[in-house]
Amino acid sequence: MRDPTPPLTLTAITDRTRTYIRDTFLYMRPDWPLQDDDPLFGSGVIDSIGVMELIGFLQSEFGCTVAEDEITERNLGSIGAIARFVHAKCNADGVRAA
Amino acid sequence: MCGLAGIARRGPGGVSAERLERMADAIRHRGPDGAGLHADERVGLSHVRLSVIDLARGAQPMANETGTVFVVYNGEIFNHLALRGELEARGHLFRTRSDTEVLVHAYEQWGERMLERLNGQFAFAIYDRHAGCVFLARDRFGILPLYYAERDGDLYFASEVKALLASGEVERALDPEGLDEVFTFWASLPPRTPFRGIRALEPGCCARWQDGRLTIRRYYALAYPEAASESADALEALDELLHSAVRLRLQADVPVGGYLSGGIDSSIVCALAAACSPHVLRTFSVTFEDPALDESMYQQAVAAAVRSQHAVRRIGSGDIARVFPDVVRHAETPLVRTAPAPLYLLSGLVGEHGIKVVLSGEGSDEVFLGYDLFKEAIIRLLCWQRPQSRRLPQLLDGLYPDIAPAARKGEFWRRYFLAAGAPGDPLFSHLPRFLLTARIKDFYSAEFRAALGRFDPLAELRGRLPHGFGTWSPLARATYLEMTTLLSPYLLSSQGDRMAMAHGIELRVPYLDHRLFEFAAALPGRSKLRGLREKDVLRRWARGLLPPAVIGRRKQPYRAPDVPAFFDGRPPEYVEALLDPASLARTGIFNPPAVAGLVRRCREGRALGFRESQALVAILSTELWHREFLGAPVQASAALTAGVKAAAVPASVAA
Repeated sequence: MRDPTPPLTLTAITDRTRTYIRDTFLYMRPDWPLQDDDPLFGSGVIDSIGVMELIGFLQSEFGCTVAEDEITERNLGSIGAIARFVHAKCNADGVRAA
Repeated sequence: MCGLAGIARRGPGGVSAERLERMADAIRHRGPDGAGLHADERVGLSHVRLSVIDLARGAQPMANETGTVFVVYNGEIFNHLALRGELEARGHLFRTRSDTEVLVHAYEQWGERMLERLNGQFAFAIYDRHAGCVFLARDRFGILPLYYAERDGDLYFASEVKALLASGEVERALDPEGLDEVFTFWASLPPRTPFRGIRALEPGCCARWQDGRLTIRRYYALAYPEAASESADALEALDELLHSAVRLRLQADVPVGGYLSGGIDSSIVCALAAACSPHVLRTFSVTFEDPALDESMYQQAVAAAVRSQHAVRRIGSGDIARVFPDVVRHAETPLVRTAPAPLYLLSGLVGEHGIKVVLSGEGSDEVFLGYDLFKEAIIRLLCWQRPQSRRLPQLLDGLYPDIAPAARKGEFWRRYFLAAGAPGDPLFSHLPRFLLTARIKDFYSAEFRAALGRFDPLAELRGRLPHGFGTWSPLARATYLEMTTLLSPYLLSSQGDRMAMAHGIELRVPYLDHRLFEFAAALPGRSKLRGLREKDVLRRWARGLLPPAVIGRRKQPYRAPDVPAFFDGRPPEYVEALLDPASLARTGIFNPPAVAGLVRRCREGRALGFRESQALVAILSTELWHREFLGAPVQASAALTAGVKAAAVPASVAA
């Protein structure tokens, strides 16, 4: 029997992540110019406590468990990086809405 | 300690007793034991007294024999007996045993140069009738407060801002730049205050008012002439200085107690005091229901070791929120932490036990490099010097043990420190803290941003650093910044004098005996911070004095709950009222939708980091402060740009 929920596309992951980051970390600065490849950390959008919250979001939203050695700027340093990481990491199982 | 207030008129208009009494009433909490005033055609002085030395005869204002020199004074001159002997040898006649009288005769004998001879914590005003001048002075480190305002050549001065406002002649208005400094450094930097037109006399400065003109002069500057190596007799010298600093601060005609945090600094002070005190030492601590903040095990160990009679104020759910409005009223400034609130409750406990004077361990972390910030600065510097090292950035993971372990390691944690600025910036050591604190400004309203214009508090601070600052060692620069941006304007004020004096308690700080500071400033940096071991010389000296567990204990930052203090359960009514969008819009400083987002996160228990907790405390305290001192403006923009003239003294201030 086929899974009725299709895998999420890279674009869908990007959109949800962007919305989450704006709602969670930039709610006080809706004017903050954040592009998908802008750094989240050097620019101060997210701090290290926020990283823990972000990882919780990735788990609950995409069912994507992030190992400790995967908590790097390469994987989580921008909205685009997060989307690519989540998409690639979970692609084998299919990334679906949690 | 006490409170003082006064007015000096350029013209012969006089100062009414009623006005002086109103000013004194506003700071009655600083001196519940008595009050006095002096007024003539030019100058009025008022004083409220906390009787500590020569209880029967130390009333103020105090004059010389001929009635030409008057003093109102808040504080203690710890070497007053030695100075008195010197002055008596020069023919001065004393009528009391008080240190106040020493100031009168010291001024007669040495004029303004008297300041160099004082070992103490003080703020005073001397009226010299012959010269027609008023001389104001504040101690070297800013332990005690002194504010002033000028209007048309008249001078207003007082221990607290509320006394100036109670005069009815000093404008009530906010200074956006003063607020912006609070949201950068945790406090406005003297001479600036959050009140427009009201200045704080800088630590180590004096001022002379004559013919309607005020001239300010620095008489003491922090200096760090670090030696290349520690002298062989350093521990012996430290021993003598610590004993002397504590012994001098036990002088009083009332029993002296001690604050006991459980850390090495207050433990040393209490151990020395217990050994020297003629009474069984009374010690006082706060403990927290939250085990992550609680130090009671160490407090009890030290209390048992020094055989003190120990009392504890346990801070439970709701305590901080309950007293926070009073805390802000006494602090007279917005705050970014709730940490003053437990100290307010602690001084209440001291008062309940009939003690008027307590020794504190404050100042040691600055003098002997106790804070993780100093380690952080050195690690960051090394990372810049050896960018290829993978090991050095990992040292940052060992800092700030009060932060959740999962959040203080890895690339993002390190990035926070390493991206904060380069070593060429004179503020290098403090940039992570300054930039983190400044995130409060994300919540500013558009109109408040506009009122600030291009004001840049960091650029202004860079521009006022002392000559030669760039040649100092990195640790000396960091210490200077810590003492001038945090110790004096926040720790000694909002957490120190104000919270203690709210209950009429005098704090004495042995580590800020200027001889001890100068000794430590001349030690090599590694005597204080050896590798990453803080306060090394102090720990070496304290072996055998304290339980080993206390000596070997790592510095635990003093913290109090921030967001949970207000949102663990239903927030108090005043919190809901102050954070209401309409109320925020009336004040005009913060952006209501942004604050609504923060409130939502607080209610959901998701505001866990410093950025949001400091923002909540800042917003709440600013709204409380505004309501208390400025009243609710009719139009926010008018309050920001034009200020609000006081029509009458609010009952809470004049009561």
